[in-house]
Amino acid sequence: MSPSPPAHSRADADARVEALLRDLGSRLRRGSGEAARQSGGTRQHPTGLASLDALLEGGFPSGRLCEIAGPLSSGRTSIALALLAQATRAGEWTAWVDVADALDPASAEAAGVSLERVLWVRPPGPREALRACARLLEVRGFALIALDLARPAREPERLAAAAWRRLARAAAASGTTLVVLSQQRVTGTASELAIETKRSRAHFSAAPALLEGIEIEACVARQRAGPAQRVASLRLCASSRAA
Amino acid sequence: MDPRGPSRSACLLVSDLPRAAVLRAFPALAGRPFAVAAGHGPRAELVSASDEAARRGVRRGVGVAHARSVCAELEIHVASPALEEATRAALLDAALACSPRAALEPRRAGLFAHEAAVSVDASGIETLFHSEAGFAAALVARAAALGLPARVAIAASRSVARIAARRIAEDGGTCVLAAGREAEFLAPLPIDALDPDDALAEQLTRFGVHHVGDLLRLPRRALATRLGSGALALVALACGQCALPPLCAPAEARTAEAIDLEVPADRLDPLLFALQGLLSRLLARLELRHLACDALHLSLELEGGGRDERRIGVAAPTRELRVLVRLVARSLESSPPRAPVASARLETRGAPLRRDQLDLFRPPGPTPSALAPALAEITGLCGATRVGAPAVADQHHPDALAMNEFAPRVPQAVAHAAPLARSLALRMLRPPATAEVRLRAGHPSWIRSAVSSGPVTRCAGPWRTTGGWWSREGRFAFDHFDVQTEDGTVVRLRYDHLARIWQVDGVYD
Repeated sequence: MSPSPPAHSRADADARVEALLRDLGSRLRRGSGEAARQSGGTRQHPTGLASLDALLEGGFPSGRLCEIAGPLSSGRTSIALALLAQATRAGEWTAWVDVADALDPASAEAAGVSLERVLWVRPPGPREALRACARLLEVRGFALIALDLARPAREPERLAAAAWRRLARAAAASGTTLVVLSQQRVTGTASELAIETKRSRAHFSAAPALLEGIEIEACVARQRAGPAQRVASLRLCASSRAA
Repeated sequence: MDPRGPSRSACLLVSDLPRAAVLRAFPALAGRPFAVAAGHGPRAELVSASDEAARRGVRRGVGVAHARSVCAELEIHVASPALEEATRAALLDAALACSPRAALEPRRAGLFAHEAAVSVDASGIETLFHSEAGFAAALVARAAALGLPARVAIAASRSVARIAARRIAEDGGTCVLAAGREAEFLAPLPIDALDPDDALAEQLTRFGVHHVGDLLRLPRRALATRLGSGALALVALACGQCALPPLCAPAEARTAEAIDLEVPADRLDPLLFALQGLLSRLLARLELRHLACDALHLSLELEGGGRDERRIGVAAPTRELRVLVRLVARSLESSPPRAPVASARLETRGAPLRRDQLDLFRPPGPTPSALAPALAEITGLCGATRVGAPAVADQHHPDALAMNEFAPRVPQAVAHAAPLARSLALRMLRPPATAEVRLRAGHPSWIRSAVSSGPVTRCAGPWRTTGGWWSREGRFAFDHFDVQTEDGTVVRLRYDHLARIWQVDGVYD
């Protein structure tokens, strides 16, 4: 007859089983994210930027049209890449529809984006970009699509409000979050969430002179599910050239 | 002895190929009076007529003008050898969907010149289709799925199966001849059913041999002495024996659809209409073989003898007609044919649709079957080099750009090694914006460009990037500066030592 195990080892085993069950449960929940989205769950995409996530109470809402608008050097691209980084690291598939043809794969990789999980589409104009977005939303399987309309030295794109409403409906049906990057707000009332970014100041080190990063302010200009006009400050760090 | 039991063959037969080919290309003609003419003009001879036309008195062999006088509503189509050849290939596809061993029978002359036949190995087929009758019905159904009115007969040999198929009264019918009953079946048939050559048929008629049974009653030695070896071959055929070699699996071939246009198409719209028909028939054939459309090869024969050949890439195998039509249209719009098109041919290798295995613990990505047509469509919209997965270029040139194929597969474990950084992104300017720069102590003090202008408030750099020095065309040398202007924009400025110009090639954002 085998001796009964000591009490502390049984407790350890129970704790281990509990931990395993928790891990299994969390992984299953992550795997069934699509089901959660379809059932109208409140799934969100965090950016990994603590102050911005706190401002948005978790992140960008899933299956909604969102917008990040602001001038050059106001951190729009960095926020969008942070979103992509979080999503791709969770095993999601994403797309970057790049009207501006401005994506820098090295920057994206430095931000932590898993590049092979990103579909990069470089359409010749905004209308083709909208069609590409609509087609990708039909596919159902992309967690996040970023539509970069922010072309410097160009007039802001004037696209019909109906087009944005159609895209918002398609995003809701597919459970895909569509994030529009622009210089001025373009989506109007079709967006669930609109963030306006402003540049505060750039930080340069003294000797040797290096760009260390920029400070930005992110203001919630529109949020259906919460109060607007809340502001968060962020500091984005430049990757060191010396490294 | 063959472990699969006695040898059995099936014949999948289309009795009126010109009519079936036209009906397959123009399904709206079903139930309407139409005829197929051998050529253009009122004197052209009709080679086929639809059942409705035949009911109204239109007969094969009469001229177009005469047929129109009999039936005013008659639609005339000119026979297209390319379309008929594609229809024969489609018949073979229908057979291959049921059995791996099938072969197209060569076209005959004379009485059976307008029929298309495929011989199919039916030995041991009951294990798959429960019975030979079930197999015959499946063959008819596969052919019908491709718009082909076919009839099927199964017998002990290819020749007898073909003769039996010809005796079936109407399209869609089937006939199974039990083993050993071939001679009994053939005996009452007229001697023409064996398709003897004209000279032999005439001699047999003169001898008073009108039926196959009459032939079998004659002594063979005397028959061979008087009529030669051709008569003996005919006797063997009448006994149900077959001299044809056994069937084998055909070599993998590309799937092609073609049509000769009755009037050369000098505009894109009618040409695209014809190509859409070709594509839809091509997709139907591929679907029957569980394949999807891969890269297309489009061959256009131009009026006056020229030829236009082009390859139309497809991002991923797809069965979506809308996507393929758009790709073809885009190719033709970007470089239209230089003369009216007289004939068109589309060819593809065919590839299986990509499948994916769902993972219980990971988010489901886009399914390959849904993604492939979307990628193909977006590629058609944006261009083949503008869709893919971003990649870091394996070179130091600041304008270098790299893209990989975007191919979602079952993901491996996602790396969590490096923590995520609050990283500042660089937006590239493609192409770089030319800048006008004033220097103070070797550093930019004022810039003017399409992106940002004004006095420089902060500046870092320069960092020199050089490379490609071993080639005259590929060499480069840049000095880069990170510059903040008065309005707060932080740009990446560069001086091109070779072109001696300043440019803004990126904006920190």
